[in-house]
Amino acid sequence: MNSSNITITLPGELRFIRLASKIASNTASLFTETRKTEAENWEFAHAFELAVSEAFTNAVVHAKKQAAPQPVTITFTLEERKLTLAMRDSNVPFSTRTPSPDPENYPENGYGLLLIRTVMDTVTLTRENDTNIITMSKTL
Amino acid sequence: MTITETTGSTHTIVTICGTLDASTAPDFRNSPAIADPSRTVVIDLDKMDFLDSSGLGALVGVLRRKQEANATILLSCMNPPVRKVFDITGTCKLFHIFDDTDAANDYAATYLRGR
Repeated sequence: MNSSNITITLPGELRFIRLASKIASNTASLFTETRKTEAENWEFAHAFELAVSEAFTNAVVHAKKQAAPQPVTITFTLEERKLTLAMRDSNVPFSTRTPSPDPENYPENGYGLLLIRTVMDTVTLTRENDTNIITMSKTL
Repeated sequence: MTITETTGSTHTIVTICGTLDASTAPDFRNSPAIADPSRTVVIDLDKMDFLDSSGLGALVGVLRRKQEANATILLSCMNPPVRKVFDITGTCKLFHIFDDTDAANDYAATYLRGR
């Protein structure tokens, strides 16, 4: 199966969150163009916009604990009916980050991974060579 | 993101235009009627085009502090991308949510005058 990769690297700073999420939603929009209904295309693009906003925020917030902000690299893999996005950062490991919230108490923080897992078809978290990799994909 | 506050005798209408995320949440928290825990606010979300969990967390935190001071937040005119975040997290149960701002205003005025 043919696939294409697009990779971008952004500074790990709060002010780049919106740029990262808009790049993701625009990539998803162009990828889905004319393939589905307008509502389905919107949902597909919004899923990537939201997931990247959450993942990028998580990487940046944890970057602030380090001496200098680390860059965040995002790779899109486009296949016939599937878009996969891998986000890499070299900040503190996922395992040491904020645990999922108790949903009954409705806390102020900790909804990010819940949102990502809900809007994406598959989500994996791995750490390789001191790099965190969150990989998420969604099929049309 | 831009925030506009319109203050009346009983409460304040806060209109948020743009995105509420980790980069804009501090400005939201510092807006005068939002930062005042005793001030009830109607937040008009008609022009909010994107909300993520950081923005949601800011709303939940402000709601908690206002409730402790016997005030509250009423939300109106949620767009689909905003509503989706509330629905997935279940936090829609925490807020009074109205389809239009006039209804939220009427509710706030009636409720606050009755106290």
